[in-house]
Amino acid sequence: MEPVVQFENVRKSFGSFVAVDNLNLNIERGKFVTLLGPSGCGKSTTLRMLGGFETPTEGRILLSGRDVTMVPPNRRNVNIVFQDYALFPHMTVAKNIAFGLELKGVDQKQIQRRVSELLELVQLQEFASRLPSELSGGQRQRVALMRALAPDPDVLLLDEPLSALDAKLRQTMQIELKAIQEQTGKTFMFVTHDQEEALTMSDTIVVMNNGRIEQMGDPASLYKRPGSAFVATFLGETNLLRSDVVGTDAGEAAVRWNGMTIKASAGALSPKAGDAIYVVLRPEAIQCSAGEPGVANRVKGRIRQRVFKGNHTSLKVEIGEGHLLNALVHPSEVEGLSLDDIWVGWSAEATTLIPSRNAS
Amino acid sequence: MRAMFHDWPGLALKSFYWLFVLYLFLPLSLMVAVSFKDASFISFPLGNLTIDWYAKVIQDKQFLDACLYTIMIAAATTAIATVIGVWIAMLIGSLRGATQYVAFAIACLPAVVPGMISAISLRIFITTIDLPTGTVAIILGHVVHAVPFVVVMVLTRLRSMPGNLVDAARDLGADSTVTFFRVTLPYLGPAIFGGMIFCLLLSSDDFVRTFFLGGYRPTLPMLIFARVQSGMSPEINVMATLVLVVTAVVGLYAEYLTRRSRIR
Repeated sequence: MEPVVQFENVRKSFGSFVAVDNLNLNIERGKFVTLLGPSGCGKSTTLRMLGGFETPTEGRILLSGRDVTMVPPNRRNVNIVFQDYALFPHMTVAKNIAFGLELKGVDQKQIQRRVSELLELVQLQEFASRLPSELSGGQRQRVALMRALAPDPDVLLLDEPLSALDAKLRQTMQIELKAIQEQTGKTFMFVTHDQEEALTMSDTIVVMNNGRIEQMGDPASLYKRPGSAFVATFLGETNLLRSDVVGTDAGEAAVRWNGMTIKASAGALSPKAGDAIYVVLRPEAIQCSAGEPGVANRVKGRIRQRVFKGNHTSLKVEIGEGHLLNALVHPSEVEGLSLDDIWVGWSAEATTLIPSRNAS
Repeated sequence: MRAMFHDWPGLALKSFYWLFVLYLFLPLSLMVAVSFKDASFISFPLGNLTIDWYAKVIQDKQFLDACLYTIMIAAATTAIATVIGVWIAMLIGSLRGATQYVAFAIACLPAVVPGMISAISLRIFITTIDLPTGTVAIILGHVVHAVPFVVVMVLTRLRSMPGNLVDAARDLGADSTVTFFRVTLPYLGPAIFGGMIFCLLLSSDDFVRTFFLGGYRPTLPMLIFARVQSGMSPEINVMATLVLVVTAVVGLYAEYLTRRSRIR
């Protein structure tokens, strides 16, 4: 199937600053795609170029196969949910949602039907004649979403729409957004710097850094098999172990770190002995016990810090002299353990290797 | 009681406020009081009260005509100054950097040029271009004076407008004309309304420019001025009282409306 959005060699510079560099990205119809990255990574510029508010310096943007590179925002079939909603303050909720439909020349009867349909989708029927100022943050968010969905865009663009909400509401809205995306079958392109939002909602995450795509893929495989130190540290917490390869064997590599030999799955890499490499070890992959565990990698350590967080306990374990590993374990795992003498261990599959040239 | 005296700065603040109110209202109340006096000269005590003077003023053809003329000029001034003022405010709002400050300074100039200077220069100007004194000349003078007030009020509101409202309208399919009339203009509404009220009051109150640019038909300030020259009488107090009441009502109502829309 033809992708709904295609960026072809798109570059955008502001003076000497290159915001987006050589961007090639295809977005499949009906997917929830998230552009994830720190501020200044080019994700918002990418979204604004698709919305028509920035013109690429080089390259083409295709929307449903049509070249829209130079088409103004009012004549391309995408709609944006803005960061602070940008609801029209002088129009009622219903009028806000109807705005795009009216401009499309849809007749009044149909507009009314569509507006009430959309309001029902987010359970805001009773609020149709309220003004935006009379709504809560979460309600405004929903209205902004429905206003953008009303004209039936090819792609819905969401520019960090949850950042103005408090933590609890943000989580509720994440689930709701994903549900609405699935119900409507629309293509969502979501921009955020929040890795948790990205992991929760996306079908595909596009990690961006310095104007380039660092890596893209579904959340689970990005989390499990990050391709660079940047992705590994940006998506979730991680232990990055600077190591040297000492040998390889059938998709597994043996590396030397801090005086111990670690067995790790090589993933897509084919490391050679002598290569400098990073081992990615997620904190939750580490287990703690009093006796020696039966896993591929195990070492003695001392618990330097223990923080109880309800459903898990966060540990800093010292290995050898001054090397700390972050670990997340079930609270019962560390009950009754002597702090100064424990075993930590993890399996070979729980780790990934990253070439160290990607580390910065 | 002791607490009250301990708070002497607060007390001083309050007293000065009320002294100011007294200073503001004493002359006005005196003027209003005398308009009800049952004698043809101004003196105290008031003695018997009457509304005869009001009856007389209301039947005064000259007074009614001056009122009508003043309102007509004020309405025309307001209409023209509002359109020009909004236009200039939108232009200045779209400028950046130093150009913006220069344009703003030029737009504000007519508000700070002394009325007399402005009046004389306009008089010379209309003579040069062979425009007769009278209605058109007066409106011309009033518009020049009123525009900056509209510009400042509209520009202040424009600057408080979230930039992405326009983006949102464009995004939903509006071209720049539709965006202006359906999003920007309604957003500016309260400021435009406030500016219009200001124009009405400025124009109907103007004396100097009208004096230099007017023809034989007097506006209300000119009529009152002419009457004062031929001697004070309670009739003048009545006219002044009527003007006071009308402007106060208009001003307060405008304030109420803009306040209500600000809350929204």
